[in-house]
Amino acid sequence: MTDVGGLAIPWLTKDALDTFLAGPERAAALWKYPALIVLAAGVQVIFRYFWRTHLFGFSRHIEWDFRNAIVAHLQRLPLRYFTHTKTGDLMSRLTNDMVSFREMLGMGVMAVIDAAFTIATSLLLMVVIDPWLTLWSLLPLPSITILVLLIGNRIFDRYRDVQRHLSTLSTFVQENLAGIRVVQAYVQEENQQRHFDDLSREYQALNLDLVKHWGYVTPVMTVLSGLAATIVLWLGGRKVAMGTMSLGELVGFYGYLGMLTWPMLAIGYVINLYQRGSAALVRLLEILDTPVAAGYQVPGTARVSKVCGEIELRNLSFRYTPDAPLTLQGITLTIPAGTWCGIVGETGSGKTTLVSLLPRLYEPPPGTIFIDGIELCELPLQTLKQAIGFVSQDIFLFSETIRDNILFGNGGATSEDLETAADLAQLTSSIQEFTHQFDTLLGERGVRLSGGQKQRTALARAIVKNPPILILDDAFSSVDIETEERILEQLKGFMRGRTAILISHRISTVMEADQIVYLKDGRIVERGSHEELLALRGYYYRLYRRQLLTRELDALSDNGGARA
Amino acid sequence: MKDAQAHQDEELLGKAYDGQLIRQLLRYVAPYRLWVVASLLLLFLTTGMQLLGPYITKVAIDTYIAARDLHGLNVAVVAYLITVLVGFVSQYAQSYTMQYTGQRAMHDLRTQLFTHLQRQDLAFFDKNPVGRLMTRVINDIETLNELFGSGVIALLGDLLTLVGVAVAMLALDWRLALISFVTFPFMLRATTAYRKRARDTYRDSRRILARMNAYLQESISGMATVQTFGQEARHFNRFKEINTQHRDALLKSIQYNAVFFPSIELFSAISVGLVLWAGGVMILDERVLPGVVVAFVQYVHRLFTPIRDLAEKYNILQAAMASSERVFKLLDVQESLVEPATPTHPVRLRGEIEFKDVWLSYTAGEPVLREISFRVAPGEKVALVGATGAGKTSIISALCRFYDVERGSIRIDGIDVREWDKRTLRQQLGLVLQDVFLFSGDIARNISLGDPAVAEERIAEAARRVHAHDFIERLPEGFRAVVEERGSTLSQGERQLLSFARALAFDRPILILDEATSSVDTATELLIQDALKTLLLGRTALIIAHRLSTIQFVDRIIVLHKGRIREEGTHQELLAHGGIYSRLYELQYQPLA
Repeated sequence: MTDVGGLAIPWLTKDALDTFLAGPERAAALWKYPALIVLAAGVQVIFRYFWRTHLFGFSRHIEWDFRNAIVAHLQRLPLRYFTHTKTGDLMSRLTNDMVSFREMLGMGVMAVIDAAFTIATSLLLMVVIDPWLTLWSLLPLPSITILVLLIGNRIFDRYRDVQRHLSTLSTFVQENLAGIRVVQAYVQEENQQRHFDDLSREYQALNLDLVKHWGYVTPVMTVLSGLAATIVLWLGGRKVAMGTMSLGELVGFYGYLGMLTWPMLAIGYVINLYQRGSAALVRLLEILDTPVAAGYQVPGTARVSKVCGEIELRNLSFRYTPDAPLTLQGITLTIPAGTWCGIVGETGSGKTTLVSLLPRLYEPPPGTIFIDGIELCELPLQTLKQAIGFVSQDIFLFSETIRDNILFGNGGATSEDLETAADLAQLTSSIQEFTHQFDTLLGERGVRLSGGQKQRTALARAIVKNPPILILDDAFSSVDIETEERILEQLKGFMRGRTAILISHRISTVMEADQIVYLKDGRIVERGSHEELLALRGYYYRLYRRQLLTRELDALSDNGGARA
Repeated sequence: MKDAQAHQDEELLGKAYDGQLIRQLLRYVAPYRLWVVASLLLLFLTTGMQLLGPYITKVAIDTYIAARDLHGLNVAVVAYLITVLVGFVSQYAQSYTMQYTGQRAMHDLRTQLFTHLQRQDLAFFDKNPVGRLMTRVINDIETLNELFGSGVIALLGDLLTLVGVAVAMLALDWRLALISFVTFPFMLRATTAYRKRARDTYRDSRRILARMNAYLQESISGMATVQTFGQEARHFNRFKEINTQHRDALLKSIQYNAVFFPSIELFSAISVGLVLWAGGVMILDERVLPGVVVAFVQYVHRLFTPIRDLAEKYNILQAAMASSERVFKLLDVQESLVEPATPTHPVRLRGEIEFKDVWLSYTAGEPVLREISFRVAPGEKVALVGATGAGKTSIISALCRFYDVERGSIRIDGIDVREWDKRTLRQQLGLVLQDVFLFSGDIARNISLGDPAVAEERIAEAARRVHAHDFIERLPEGFRAVVEERGSTLSQGERQLLSFARALAFDRPILILDEATSSVDTATELLIQDALKTLLLGRTALIIAHRLSTIQFVDRIIVLHKGRIREEGTHQELLAHGGIYSRLYELQYQPLA
C-alpha cells in the first residue's frame, strides 16, 4: 500500500488543473488540491519509511543469521578443510557473496514488489483516464524490459569476464611480488612490466566492452520513456485540442507514464540481482554442506568425572586421505597415567601427526586410541579437550592482550593462576618489560613477540588449563637451551601426577622422560629409557652424538677458532 | 595477526575532498584532456536536451493545443522526438567517453605503480607484506576507477542539471520559480544533516566490517588452536557480537535512508503543491498560461532528482580520496639502492668476486656479516658452510645487491657492485635458490620466466642438459604442462632440476647456488649431482652447500660462524685442522643411518 500516496499525486494534479481551467467560480477549490497533494505525499513518506526499514531491516537480519550460521559451522569443520581451502576464498565468500545474497533479498524483493504494485496501479489509472491512449503509449515500454533482458545477459557475461580477468591480474601481481627475488635476480623486471601492461590493457579493454553495453541501459530507458511521452504528447495533444480530453487528464496521464519507467527498468535490474545473488547463495551453501568433523557429529557418551591420563595406542595406522601414503604405521604404545613419554625422530617421521590425533584434530581409525581405557570417540569432545594442554609447533596467538591469550582455554582462571602459569613458563620477566604488562596487546597494534616469547606464552596458555595431560610438540625450538632447562626444571613440580608427551629435536628435553620412542617413517624403531637407548647404539645414540657436537659449536666464542 | 590488522588500516577514511590529491589525480587525466572536453560538451548537450522537453510540452499546450493548431502540434511532437533521440546519443557517448578516460588513466596509474614496485629493493619487501601491496595495485585503483564510472562526472552532471533546471524555471516564469524554490533551504538543511549522519554511520559500518573481516581471517588461520582448546563456542560468541554490531550499524543507516529519501519526495510534493496553488491563482487571474504550470510540475521533479543523487555520491568520493592517498604515498617511496651516476656496463665478465671487509645489517646495530673478506678467482668454485644463521644467505644477498653493505666493498672483476648498473650486474649472475619459486604457467615459462630472449630450443636444450627433460617428457603435455599453484604437483627434486634448467637457459658467467636441504631419493640425488656438474662447468660459483658430494668437488670451502669467516681451505685441510668444519662435517654430512 506504500505507493498509494505517490500514485495519488498525478491524479490530484489532473483534478487540480481541470478545476482551475473550468473557470473562476471554482476559486474556492484552489487550496484544496495542493493540500491534498501534500497530504498524499505525507502518507507516502510514512509508508515508505516503514516499508524501507522493514524490508531492508529484514534482509539485514537474515544476513546476520546466515553469517552466524556459517561461522558456527566453520568452527566445527575438519582441519583438513582449512588446509585445502584458501583463506582468501573463504573470506571472499563470507563478504562479497554475502553482500550479493543480501542485495537479492533486500533490493531485489523490494524492487519486485514495488514494481509489480506500481505497474498495476499506474496502468489501471491510465486506463481509467483513457484506455486507447494507454494502449498506444505502452507500445515502447515493454521493449525496455526486453532490451534490459537482452543487454542484461550480455552485461552479465561481460561482468563475469571482467571479474575473471581481475582475478588473473591479482594472481599475477601476487606471484610477482612473492617471487620478486627471482624476478630481480634474473633481471625480469621489464619483462614482467610488459606482461603486466598487457594484462592491464586487456583488463581495460574488457571493462570498456562492459561499459559499451552497460552504457546503453540508462539512455535506452530515457529514450523509450521519451518515445512514450512523444506519443502521448502527439495523440493526447490532438485529443485535448479536439476537446475529447481535458488538459488535466493529459498532465495526469504524463505523470503515470513517468511512474512506469522505473519499474520497467527494475525488472531487468532484479534479474541481474537474482542471477548474482543465487550464484552467491550456491557458494555459501557449499560451506554449509561440508560435513563437520567426526567428533562433532556423534557426541561421545561415556560419563567421566575426571580424566586420569592413561594413554594407550593400539596398532595405530593413519593416513590423511584415502589415497595418501600411511603417515603412521602400527604404533602400539602405552603411557601410564602420570608418566612422561618423549618422542624423537626426523622431520616428517609422524611425531606431530601422532599427537594431533589425541585431541581429535584428525580422526583416528576406530579401536586405536584409548584414554583411561575409554576409546577416544566415546569421550565427550569437551571433556577430552579440557583434559589436554597442547603446545603446538607453529604457535598461533590472537591479536588480543597477553592475558586473553593465556586465558584462552580457561576463561575462569584467577589472576593468581595466570601469574603462576606465566612464572612456570618463564614469561614473567618478559611481561614485566611491557608497559601494560598482561594487558599488552599482541599484533600490529601492540607488541610483536619473538619466537621464544610466543612459545612461552603458548606454554602458559596450556598450563593455565590445569590439564591432566600435557602435550609439548617441539615447544622449545625457539627458546635457548638454558631457558629451556630452567622451564623444564620448574615444570617438573607442575607435571607431577600429570601425563606428558614431549616431542623434541633436542635430547636434553626428553632425556628425563620415563620412556622415549624414536619414530622413523611413521614407525617406532627404538623405545626405552635414555640409558637403554644410548646402550642400543642406534638412531637415538647418533642423534645424541650430533647434539653434543652442536652444543660444542654453539659454545664457541666469537673470538675462538682459527683460520686454516 | 599481521594480515588481520592490515585489514583495519585499509578501511580508514579521510576527507571527501582534498585539493592536493585531486591535482595529483588530474595529472593522470591530463593526457586524455581532449576526451574530457568532449565528454563535458556532451554532458552540456544531454542536459540541454533534457531541459528542452518540458519547455516543448509547454509550447505545445499553450500555443498549439490551446489554438487547436494540429499542424503546430505535429511540429512540436517532432521537435520533442528530436530532443529525445539526440539526448539518447549524447548521453551514451558522454558516459562512454568518460569511462574511456577513466579506464585509460587508471591503466596508466596501475602500470606506473607496478613498475615502481619492481624497482624496490628487498628491504622494502621485508617491510611491506605482499597482501598490502596487492591491495594498492588492485583494490585501490578499482576504487579510483569508480570515481570516473559513477562519481565525479555524474556529480558534475547533477550540478549542471540543477542549475539548468533552475535557470529554465526562472526564465519561464520567475514568480512561479521563486515559489517552487521555497522548500529549498529546508531541503538543504535536511541534506546536510543526512550527509553528516550518513557519513558517520558509513564510517562506523566500514570500521566494524573491517574488524569483522580481521576477526574472521584470524579465526580461519587460528582454527587449529580454537579446536585444540575446545573454544569453538566462546569464539563464535565473540564473532556474533561483532556481527551484531555490524548489523546494528547498518540498521541505523537504513533508518537514515528511510527518513531522508522519502522526505525528498515530500519536499518535491510540497513544491508541486505550491506551484499548483500559485499557478492556479495566476491562471485564474490570466497572468500565466496553463502550459507553464504543466511545464513547472515536470521541472520540479527534475530539480529534486540530482539533489538526491548528490547525497548518494558522497561516499564514493570519500572512499576514492582515501585510496588515492594510499596509492600516491606508495609512489612517493624512493628507491633506497642508489644507481651510480656513471654506471659500468660489463661486456662479458671474467667472473672474479672479491669481498673486502664487508659488514651488513638488516636492522641497525645488529650486523649479520662482520669483516667478511675473501676472493674467488675466475672459474673457481667455492662452498659456503656454516650452521643456520651463520650468514651464508646474507653473503649471497649482498653479492646480488639486494641489500647494500654497511661497510667495506664487494667487487666483481675489480669493480665495486655499487658502480655497476644494477640490472646489468644481475644479468651476469645466475641465482638458484633453495626454495624454488615457481610461477603459474607452463613448464617452459618457468624455465624462460617468460623472457622472449630465451628461445624454445634453448629451453629444451637446458632442460636436457640438467636431466629435467626426462620428467618433463613424462608429463602429459610436456613443456606445455601447467604448473599448479606453487608447484605442488612437482616433487622437490623435480623442482630443483627445473631451477637448474632456468639458470642454464640464462647462461650467466657467475653462478650463485643455495642448495636445497630437503632429502630426495638416491636416483634423483644422482641426477641432481650430475646436473650440478654441467651447470658449474666453466663458471665461477659460490655455493651454499648442504650435500657432501657437492662439498667434495668444490675448490675451496669458507666456514662461517655467527657472521664471521672462521676457517677457509679445502675439504681435506679443514678436516685435518679439526676446527668448526670438522665438527660441522660430522654433524651435517655424515649420514644418520
